[in-house]
Amino acid sequence: MTGVKRLLMVGIVLSSFFVVVGALWFSNSVETLDEVAEHFGATDSPIWSPPIPDYEIHGFEGNVMVNIAVGIVFTVIVLVSTLYRIM
Amino acid sequence: MHIPDGFLDLSICAIMYAATAIFWAFSFRKASRVLSDKQIPLMATLTAMFFAAQMMNYPIIGGTTAHLLGGPILAMTLGPYAGSISMTVILLIQALLFGDGGITTFGANVWNMGVIGVFIPYIVYLLALRIAKSQSGLFVGAFAGAFIGDVLAAVFAGIELGLSTLSFPYSVSIAVTAMVTHHIIIGIGEGAVTAIIVSVLQKTRPDLLQLPKLSPGLLGGA
Repeated sequence: MTGVKRLLMVGIVLSSFFVVVGALWFSNSVETLDEVAEHFGATDSPIWSPPIPDYEIHGFEGNVMVNIAVGIVFTVIVLVSTLYRIM
Repeated sequence: MHIPDGFLDLSICAIMYAATAIFWAFSFRKASRVLSDKQIPLMATLTAMFFAAQMMNYPIIGGTTAHLLGGPILAMTLGPYAGSISMTVILLIQALLFGDGGITTFGANVWNMGVIGVFIPYIVYLLALRIAKSQSGLFVGAFAGAFIGDVLAAVFAGIELGLSTLSFPYSVSIAVTAMVTHHIIIGIGEGAVTAIIVSVLQKTRPDLLQLPKLSPGLLGGA
C-alpha cells in the first residue's frame, strides 16, 4: 500500500471512529455557545433550511445508526471533494 | 462555537465577511501555487478527520459540551493558509447541509475558527519552537498555541456578539466573559489533544511536521 493510500485509510478509519463514538456517547448535551445564548435569551433565526438539520434525517431523528451512517458518508464526501477539488 | 443566523447584527456579519475575505484571497491564491503532492492528500485527510471530530462533543462544565476545533493541528501540519482553507470547507458543509452555523454568520465563524483559530496557534507554536528548540518546546508550543487560539477565538466570538446590539442586548464585556469562561476548559482540551498528536507525529511521522509550510514569509513560509 502506498503512503498516500495508507494516509487516506488511516484518515477514514479515525474519522469513522470519531463519528461512531460521537453518535453513541458524546452528542446529547447543549453546546457551549447555545448555553450562553440561552442564558442571555438570544434566539437564532435561520435563513436557510438545511437538508439534514442537526445531522439527523427527517423521520429518523434519534436513530443512532442513521446518524452514524450520515456522519461516515459525509466524512467520505468531504475527503473526496477536498482531494479532487484541490487537485 | 458555530454562531447561528440571528445572533449577529447584519453590519457585524458584513464586517466579518470582509475581514475573512482578505484571508480567503491570500489563502486560495497561495495554496493553488504552493501545495505539494504530499500535502494535498494530507489536507484532504485532515479536513475529513476534523469534520468528523467536530461531531464528537465531549461534556464540559454545567451540562454543556464542546468539540475539537482542529485548527491548531491543521496549521502545524499544513501551515495556516491551507489550514484556513480546510476549516472553511468544514464550516461551509456544516452550515449548508446541517445548519451547524449560520449563512449570514459564516464569515464570522470562519474568522473565529478558521483564521484566529488557525493563525494564532501557528504563530505561538513557531515562537515556542524558536525559543526552545527541543521536544519540550514542541510540546509546550503545541499546547499553548491551541489553548491561546481557542480562547482568542472565543474572545472574538464574544466581541462579535457584544457588538451586535440589535440581536444581543448585552455588552461586549458580558459576552466575552461568558464565552471565555467556557472556552478556557475547551482550550485546555484542545491544547492537550494537539500537544499529544504533534508529539506522536514528531516521533512516528516527523516528515509530516517538516513539510514546507504554506504561510506568510515572516513566519518562514513558502
